[in-house]
Amino acid sequence: MAERNVHRISAGVLILTLAAGVAALQATSASVLAVIVGAAAISVAQLVSVPAPSGARLHLGIAVAAAVPLLAPDAADTIAVLAFGMAGSLVVTWLLPSARSAGSARFLSDLLAVVAYASVYYVMVDLVTLDPEANPALFDWWQLFALGAGGVAWYAVRAFLQSLVGLEREDLSARYLWLLGLEDWSAVVSLFIAGALFGLAWPTMRMWAVPMAAMPYAFSHLAFVRYNGTRVTYGQMIRALGQIPEVAGLAAPGHATRTADLAVAMARELGLHPDDVVELEYAALMHDVGRITLNEPAILRAGYTDEDIARWGAQIIAESPYLTHVAELVRAQHQPYRRAGQERDLSVPMASKIIKVASAYDQAEHEMGLRPIDAIEQVHRGSAYDYDPEVAASLRRVLTHRGVLV
Amino acid sequence: MYDIDPRRQLRLRILFAAALGGIAALLVAVVAVYSRFPEEPWLWALFAAAFVYLEWNAVEVNDRLFASPTVMVLMTAAVIFGKETAILGLALMAVIGPLTPADVRERRWFQPIANSGQLVISAVTSASVLVLLLPERIEVATLWRVALATGIAAVVHSMVNLSLVSLVVTKVFGHREVRPWSKYGAVVVPMLGMGFLGGLLGAAYVLVGSATLPLIFVVFFVGRMTFASYGQLREAQESTLRGFIKALEAKDLYTRGHTERVAYFADLIGRAMGFNGTRLERLRWAALIHDVGKLAVPRDIIRKKARLTTEEWSQMQAHTHLVEDLLAEVDFLQPMVAIASNHHAHFDGNGYHGSQNLGHGEPPLEARILSVADSFDAMTSTRSYRVALTQEYAFSELRHHAGTQFDPDVVEAFIEIIEQRGERYGSPDVSSEAEARRRAEQGVTSPVPESVAGDGEGVVFDG
Repeated sequence: MAERNVHRISAGVLILTLAAGVAALQATSASVLAVIVGAAAISVAQLVSVPAPSGARLHLGIAVAAAVPLLAPDAADTIAVLAFGMAGSLVVTWLLPSARSAGSARFLSDLLAVVAYASVYYVMVDLVTLDPEANPALFDWWQLFALGAGGVAWYAVRAFLQSLVGLEREDLSARYLWLLGLEDWSAVVSLFIAGALFGLAWPTMRMWAVPMAAMPYAFSHLAFVRYNGTRVTYGQMIRALGQIPEVAGLAAPGHATRTADLAVAMARELGLHPDDVVELEYAALMHDVGRITLNEPAILRAGYTDEDIARWGAQIIAESPYLTHVAELVRAQHQPYRRAGQERDLSVPMASKIIKVASAYDQAEHEMGLRPIDAIEQVHRGSAYDYDPEVAASLRRVLTHRGVLV
Repeated sequence: MYDIDPRRQLRLRILFAAALGGIAALLVAVVAVYSRFPEEPWLWALFAAAFVYLEWNAVEVNDRLFASPTVMVLMTAAVIFGKETAILGLALMAVIGPLTPADVRERRWFQPIANSGQLVISAVTSASVLVLLLPERIEVATLWRVALATGIAAVVHSMVNLSLVSLVVTKVFGHREVRPWSKYGAVVVPMLGMGFLGGLLGAAYVLVGSATLPLIFVVFFVGRMTFASYGQLREAQESTLRGFIKALEAKDLYTRGHTERVAYFADLIGRAMGFNGTRLERLRWAALIHDVGKLAVPRDIIRKKARLTTEEWSQMQAHTHLVEDLLAEVDFLQPMVAIASNHHAHFDGNGYHGSQNLGHGEPPLEARILSVADSFDAMTSTRSYRVALTQEYAFSELRHHAGTQFDPDVVEAFIEIIEQRGERYGSPDVSSEAEARRRAEQGVTSPVPESVAGDGEGVVFDG
């Protein structure tokens, strides 16, 4: 239902876009061929998506769009190229069955971001009247500056539109999505630089501008691909290490993975910073790693507390200099969120409180065999000191969204 | 750990610093006579600053990927400076490049002087090649010559640089290099690419104008940043696994540091046998995880005094296999787990093959290396049932079982590299198995189990 609405809206916007393109074409001084080539380049580039460090994907259209105002004689040409290019990309996604469902929503948000970009660019360029003939170097510098400002606008609008999804979705906070949208600035800069280099160099260097603009991006692309690959295997490795106590029979099977899954969902719902969510995931996956110490018979005989498990786990994790903060989160997981006479103990990190709640809920459900409604009741009962009510409320929302609770 | 004679090493270091520094000073003097300083000093300062920054913050992504934008900076700068001033401009950039604030603060001079020296020699050589190849005028029609010239010059720069570095490393630190040419081969393509791009960026400045400068510098820095974050993540991954194993081993007096040492020995053998890049990395990772399965086995089984019952034995195997299967789910670790789980397999095809079975018959070279490294460390470190043995005893045992349990080539390579480096492991005087066990019984160490059957670490016990 919602999807059909999006398709309808985008069809309407498509007509408006085409109308704007045709109107701009009336005023254009460039050849129709140049407009067609530019528009076709944008349409094709919009189909190509590349990885960004956060794991999201960016579409290459913006790199072409960055070059357009540098190459077009005036604003009307830019509008014509961008309008036909974006319209073309929508039509192509409609024709491709695999891209159809997401295509319309993407078209709407990309179009808004591109409009923001072009508007800011031309407002900036028109702020100062420079004669390109008299002082070409200064004019170029100013154009680049305007391009940078336009790029910032594009970037902010894109992240803002992404965060709007959070208003619709119960399990994702808008803040989390907004911050997630801002993660990929290095990839965005690489794309804009490629477009700008091409736009500046094409008039003099012609075909040589292509490798010069493409190569730096290609190097970054290689780094992003490898970064993402390593990020995935790093996560897998931490997941495997976190499961060692389980295969050794010292912790309940699957507990670490389920706790991490729940904790990450709660963190997103509560709107933690995406970087903190990654650390929280690692901490949750390894929160019971201290249990591996229990294969020492002397320790089993002497007895241990939850605090010991947390401390031993933190000691193991802290051996890696890159995970000192994760170790802190694991160490703090046994702490109560408040003590008598306090509103909240602010020294306990949010992530630790989330892990504590997620782990307790999972234990109640899977180890005590309680129904979800009873398991969450356990958590609510412990809200005097152990489980932060704010976090417990988030757990309830996440479980409701998943259909576990009605 | 490196060389036996520190005085000789110091003399060599002074000699090399003096020689490289002297040659470089002479080159700069000659170049200063025949070449001019770039006409726009601010432009030189800008590129020099970028060069120095990138030299200080060099990114080391494992050695199959050279991510050094410094050569690109040199090539861009050379094209912008032009034929008349490129050589001096680059030589002076190279002089200041390797001087880091830490060196100045701690008054370390040999290394920066040697580094400056070799960088100046490389820069002057490559800039001369570049000046010879560059066209008279940079225009669209001659761009192919510019790009080709900077590509070749970048390769020349890194070749000269690598040769000088490996000369110093082999002479001063006594590292043996087998098949150094494979290292040179790996840099050719990336350097051609870097040089090509650097030349085009320089030409863009000349042809299009100064507005390209911010773009050029963003290219340098974003490139460095993206590779730095990738390199850092990789390092984080390795250090996490290392830290994890170290922390768990530390709980047990007898296994403390075992994995680190085995990884070190495996790395030495791998290098001596001409491994590099991915293959060396894979060997190191396999060494790191070769004993990880044992972390899940209850300690009382590991330290059992009597022979293990069948049930205990299968419990130990089951735990080890579970962990290996767990790690094999990490895509990247899959091949390493296969190597590591085969490290008890014998050279002649006998012995225990792991859960990630690679088939019977001769185990892969990596597993054979791991087997030698593991057994050597087992013999030269103290276990619950015996004290450490001497290095000579361990070597003779390795040789004795070469051809059946061990690969003879690996054994010889290992013994040679350890003797060449003058490193010593194990006890100074305990040179027989019986003596070692007797001492452990008398000694302060806890009561001794007779044998850790199936532990399989010491050849001598399960061979």
